[in-house]
Amino acid sequence: MAGSGDAPGAIRGRCAIVAVGQTEQGEIPGISADELAVEALRLTLRDAGLRKTALDGLITCKSYGGYGIDTTIGRLAGLNPAYSATLDYGTCNFSLHLACAVIGAGLAEVVAIVYGTTQRSQGHRFAAQLGHRDEAAVYGFLNVAGPAAMAFRRHQHLYGTTEEDLGRIAVSQRRYAQGNPNAIFRTPMTLDDYLAQPYLVEPLRRADMCMISDGAACLIVAAEHRAPDVTGKPVHVMGIAQQTGLRDRQNPDQFLRSWITPVAERIYPAAGIEREAVDALYIQDPTSVWVLQMLEHYGFVPYGGVGAAFAAGEIGFGSALPLNTNGGQLSEAYMWGFLHLCEAVRQLRGECGGRQVEGAQVAQYCSTMGFMKAASTILSGSR
Amino acid sequence: MIDESVPFWAAAARRRLAFQKCDDCGFIRWPAAGVCPECLGRAATWTEVAGDGTLWSFAIYHRAYAKTGIPPVPYNVGLVELGCGVRLLTWIVGLPDAQLRVGMPVRVAFHEAGEHGLIPVFEPAGSAGTS
Repeated sequence: MAGSGDAPGAIRGRCAIVAVGQTEQGEIPGISADELAVEALRLTLRDAGLRKTALDGLITCKSYGGYGIDTTIGRLAGLNPAYSATLDYGTCNFSLHLACAVIGAGLAEVVAIVYGTTQRSQGHRFAAQLGHRDEAAVYGFLNVAGPAAMAFRRHQHLYGTTEEDLGRIAVSQRRYAQGNPNAIFRTPMTLDDYLAQPYLVEPLRRADMCMISDGAACLIVAAEHRAPDVTGKPVHVMGIAQQTGLRDRQNPDQFLRSWITPVAERIYPAAGIEREAVDALYIQDPTSVWVLQMLEHYGFVPYGGVGAAFAAGEIGFGSALPLNTNGGQLSEAYMWGFLHLCEAVRQLRGECGGRQVEGAQVAQYCSTMGFMKAASTILSGSR
Repeated sequence: MIDESVPFWAAAARRRLAFQKCDDCGFIRWPAAGVCPECLGRAATWTEVAGDGTLWSFAIYHRAYAKTGIPPVPYNVGLVELGCGVRLLTWIVGLPDAQLRVGMPVRVAFHEAGEHGLIPVFEPAGSAGTS
């Protein structure tokens, strides 16, 4: 499986994440989304001991309410970078991959990626309709919980998956969150606690859905030769991969999202490692169902095997394959998946205190933009 | 913005299920769109289809995500895979939610839904028709 440096997305040795930072998460009144993004940038620059003039690239992504545009954030932050751009969909992997491409093309050498949102204060709970507007509105197919619930029900039908199997994902992540002071949900939760929760959109419960929060996050990505100027602990980007599912509802299995699997086929050759070399795994989890799907699509467990893998201690809290050690979006905060990558970087730098994964050298982050796009990155603490 | 789906709801008001069929390649598409996602042709004819299908999956809403325009909770939303290949969001009626099963055969019926008028819903195939 391990490939050569010629594999698509094999970018080892070209760029590294040199700094990460985030604001508090939760309800943060009295500040705009763009000001929050700049605050995350300020905190990250400060922690890295970096002057903003060292940045020659800025990548932002749109956030709820029309915020997150590079031209606005650049003005607020007083930046004239050589390169700037805004993505419609951040989910971090896409922003990171663009930064790598920009650095690879020589358009910039030190790129800040920022995302800020006041989605919680703005009262948005992802209640907007998904799919075709009229059809979803007429039948009340609202919130991502709807398609996620359908996907899980279908999975149950195909593989005999139980609600206990699914619950183990949220329970494991809550256990990690108890050791993460930044996490919003830190109350202990057993599998019995999970099962005792009422349904939100049956068969899903509250704990299967993420926590929308206000907050911001920032990553700084540098060309490898510039990384030592910034930090003694660069985290190297070994490989990247993407795949879209833009056909959306014309994809035959729709909410099961099997169009993700080409990312799994590409990412390990891109990074030049085997899947088994991953020490810490991060999977974007606006809903626990997406974790279930990606564990299977990436081959970490066989289809239908997620519950058994958790029960046997093969994956999740206290196992050989730590998963979403920050608590994930289910327990830490939504933040469009940026915090997974912040956590992965901190784990590879050995800075995670009580939840540190001993000897973590390789981390993988798998993310999706709903029913449209998928991406993965493999990072290493050594070059 | 052009709402391409108007003829779909108009057909439902006449108790008919109809979708755009591409004049060039014959692909039947839904959601409605101005372009065929298979051959990119622009010409299409709204064509009546048989209302038989199977229940791909379903979700049961126990929380109301909108203040108006949706049924009281709990209510189900199903995705029905029709014989013509289209997958349609809908309600499954005619049996308690607890008896819904993935893969069950269903067929179209038409129900009054307030401001929306008659809309397509599906009931277990083999039950007495309500349309």
